[in-house]
Amino acid sequence: MDQITGKANTRLLVGILIGLAVMVAVMAVVRLDVIGRKGNGLGKGFKYDIEELTRVDPALIVYEESADAIETGLAATHGIAVDSKGFIYVAADRAVRIFSDRGVILGEIELAEPAGCLTVSTDGNLFVGFKDHVEIYDAQGQRQASWDSLGTNALLTSIAAQGDDVFVADAGNRVVIRYDVSGNVLGHIGKKDSFRNVPGFVIPSPYFDLVVSRDGLLRVVNPGRRRVEAYTFEGDIEFWWGVSSVDIEGFCGCCNPVNIAVLPDGGYVTCEKGLVRVKVYDSEGQFAGVVAGPSQLVREGECRVCDLPEECQAGGFDVAVDAAGRVFVLDTIRNNVRIFTKIEGR
Amino acid sequence: MMRFAQIITGIALALISCGLVWSAERFPPPDFESGHEMPSPTTPHPRQDIYEYIDVVVLLAALGLASYLVLKKRSRRAIFALTVFSLLYFGFWREGCVCPIGGTQNIVLSIFDAEYVVPITVAAFFLLPLVFTLFFGRTFCAAVCPLGAVQDLVLCRPVAVPSWAESGLRLLAYVYLGAAVLFAATGSAFIICRYDPFISIFRLTGDLNILILGACLLLIGVFVGRPYCRFICPYGVVLRQLSRLSRRRVTITPDECIQCKLCEESCPFGAIKKPAAKWSDQDYGIAKKRLGFFLLILPVLVLLGGWAGSSLKAVAARAHETVRLAERIYLEETGEVTETTDASAAFRATGKEIEELYADASSIRAQFGFGGWFFGGFAGLVIGLKLIGLSVWRQRTDYEADRASCLACGRCFEYCPREHVRLEQAKEVKT
Repeated sequence: MDQITGKANTRLLVGILIGLAVMVAVMAVVRLDVIGRKGNGLGKGFKYDIEELTRVDPALIVYEESADAIETGLAATHGIAVDSKGFIYVAADRAVRIFSDRGVILGEIELAEPAGCLTVSTDGNLFVGFKDHVEIYDAQGQRQASWDSLGTNALLTSIAAQGDDVFVADAGNRVVIRYDVSGNVLGHIGKKDSFRNVPGFVIPSPYFDLVVSRDGLLRVVNPGRRRVEAYTFEGDIEFWWGVSSVDIEGFCGCCNPVNIAVLPDGGYVTCEKGLVRVKVYDSEGQFAGVVAGPSQLVREGECRVCDLPEECQAGGFDVAVDAAGRVFVLDTIRNNVRIFTKIEGR
Repeated sequence: MMRFAQIITGIALALISCGLVWSAERFPPPDFESGHEMPSPTTPHPRQDIYEYIDVVVLLAALGLASYLVLKKRSRRAIFALTVFSLLYFGFWREGCVCPIGGTQNIVLSIFDAEYVVPITVAAFFLLPLVFTLFFGRTFCAAVCPLGAVQDLVLCRPVAVPSWAESGLRLLAYVYLGAAVLFAATGSAFIICRYDPFISIFRLTGDLNILILGACLLLIGVFVGRPYCRFICPYGVVLRQLSRLSRRRVTITPDECIQCKLCEESCPFGAIKKPAAKWSDQDYGIAKKRLGFFLLILPVLVLLGGWAGSSLKAVAARAHETVRLAERIYLEETGEVTETTDASAAFRATGKEIEELYADASSIRAQFGFGGWFFGGFAGLVIGLKLIGLSVWRQRTDYEADRASCLACGRCFEYCPREHVRLEQAKEVKT
């Protein structure tokens, strides 16, 4: 009898044990966080908190937003340019739209493919850079010329015209191409050349901008090295400026600045992605102030320092300056144009 | 000597300064002011391709040896030794990956996603056990599968699982297989790998919950033989069906069954079928009616299951990261949440259109809706066929290892008097 009771007790015990194990196993499965909803479980001390970096000392902000943002109504904007009359040109996926500085649409040029960059020459011609070639449009929007393709590796990201020269930044091939206005290639600038002390461009993400400065030299952004380099039209490197730093004076992340524009006084406006900042440097490359900080340009939580290029392959803003020194920032996420004017006395 | 040391020091300093300049040229880490020193990143070397092919050769050899030991040698001791080897090699040494069970998902994804290519070694891992099962029964389960091996080793006090519970619990594996196929086909998740209960044990690291899950299954496995293999393993579902068709299979007796009943309780997996007495006319009549009823409701069960599976699309689709992201962005856009997540902030930084994301998410939900019909229909079909199977009388005159359920472990061999006769005869021949 005792033996039978003992067996029954053992079975009961085993049953309870199995039941408990099943319950715990089910709980373990339910509690398993397979999509990272509960975070990484690390304390606050491990958080890569860049909130501090997004704060800008108000005393350093020397510009203010002077008008309502211009809503472009375009889907995927890429570049902005301002002509001598103050008209604003915005390049998007299938069109270039022209606005007055009050945001009135003045015209639109339909394009067959996405435009990556554009510039307006002093004679009013519009140079539009596509993925692998340049097209020229007159003031009425009629296509005047289409230059030869630069090949499948080409990715044109910036264009600048000065007199008879046109300079095109090709991020895909990491080189600046010098053309004449007829589309003939005159030379290449910036290819790594130890004999000429040219370090070569480091371009981890598709942002590679250039401008022709008032001193007659090209200013080309070398984003991977976080600096701006000055070249002669013949391709000799003269000097560079810019330091790697998350501090407000420097450029940080994998690749910054992403865009640059020249101010009427010879200074520069730079635009950074990731930790989105638009800043002003004097003609010597010394930090001069901030146009707008992250809190003004993006929503809270949208800032990041892109240590890896993969993290920031898009979302870079573009910048342009008019003759009066107003700064036009193209927000490529919201597809609008923000206008900033220098605060008097600063 | 002093001069030489100065020269060396000078050269070293020059090299260090050059290195510092060069490192500043590339991507420097962000500035920290906490005094934290950035550790040097270490990138482990990828495993050489040759080892993958060695794994396939070892698998092939283990399957061949297991088949020989089970069918020809009939040695439980040797099968056990091979089980231990497989646990050490495929489990602890190869850390449970790649395995045929998880390989199912790779194969499914490659069928539904033209851009996904299955490595030949993964395909071999998936196919080889199937081929061997088709010819020799579940010899993979017997001594090659590391998941089976780890459970086999802890089986100390086996208790019999009632047949009704066995049949019911086995449905879990079918549902799990259906879900695994659905999630893999939609590119959402490899849930078999994600919920692999023994991976943390093999790798000696991993998520605590998975470790608990594995420990619980092993604890259950002390009393219930191989609970994962019998009630959960999705690959086992496929092996069961192939084993039904296998050309050769394990037999309890080497020649004839003398119906001594000694093997009756020998199988800890409940895979030994007793001789079946013929039903009485009354039972036969009841079973006939029941069979008719189940045949009639089979389509209803399939449709009902399909509808239920499809209805779960909104919930199931959340397994896909795009859907989760779209739902999060929607909450942020409608102001229902104020904070962003890493994923939503990263998405916004890409500059992609939210509408495009919503469209992608809708497309994935539709895939789940469509796939849900198949998943639910499959579950309904399995339940229906199981009910039909209960109403069919199968003639059995001897004690037999169930074709589908038998894991070919060889435990029953020594219980058979005929096996002892065979061994004696073999010994005599030797001497």
